[in-house]
Amino acid sequence: MWTDEGEGKVLYVQTHGVTDPGRCATPFFLAASAAAMEVEVAIYFTMYGPTLLQKDVVDKIGPKGDVGQPLSYFIKQATDLGVRLLVCQPSLELNDLALDDLIDGVVMIGGAAFNDMAMNADAVVSF
Amino acid sequence: MPITETPAQILDCKGLQCPLPVIKTAQAIKTLDPGQVLELLATDPGVEPDMKAWSSRTGNELLAIDREGDVFHVFLRRQG
Repeated sequence: MWTDEGEGKVLYVQTHGVTDPGRCATPFFLAASAAAMEVEVAIYFTMYGPTLLQKDVVDKIGPKGDVGQPLSYFIKQATDLGVRLLVCQPSLELNDLALDDLIDGVVMIGGAAFNDMAMNADAVVSF
Repeated sequence: MPITETPAQILDCKGLQCPLPVIKTAQAIKTLDPGQVLELLATDPGVEPDMKAWSSRTGNELLAIDREGDVFHVFLRRQG
């Protein structure tokens, strides 16, 4: 899953979902910062994480509720810099979601691909 | 160290918080020719360690960081 085109690789893991908005945006901030450093970056959404990527949610929540930008703004900031968004099927099922419920561009991977990415990354940061 | 070169571009990020100064700097420096200088204006208090880390990672040269009141003037030369 890594292209090895960057100056390093960082994998973020987001386990928190819509019920904890204060924890929704920071992985996107850090991922965008890493991408701006010409590092290859992916965020893996597991457990409740995939709930943050729902099409009908991203404009309705933000890290400070109604104050400031919605989550969609921070997601776009990251993806515009090349950050890739990954989910796994069991986590979608846990949250009764399908890939079609999520914003465009989210890629499905499995546990083997995740572990392979983790072992090949320079850093794995889990939230 | 005083910077005598005229920056090719001034990027005003005053009032913007992390990670925007880093992101906008990364985007802006790509519009310069190698060797040209970008001046970043920022008020984010984390800009000094951030730009040191960013420049060492990307290979763009950090020429100077001058502080004027709340405003940091960061001078960066695009790697060539």
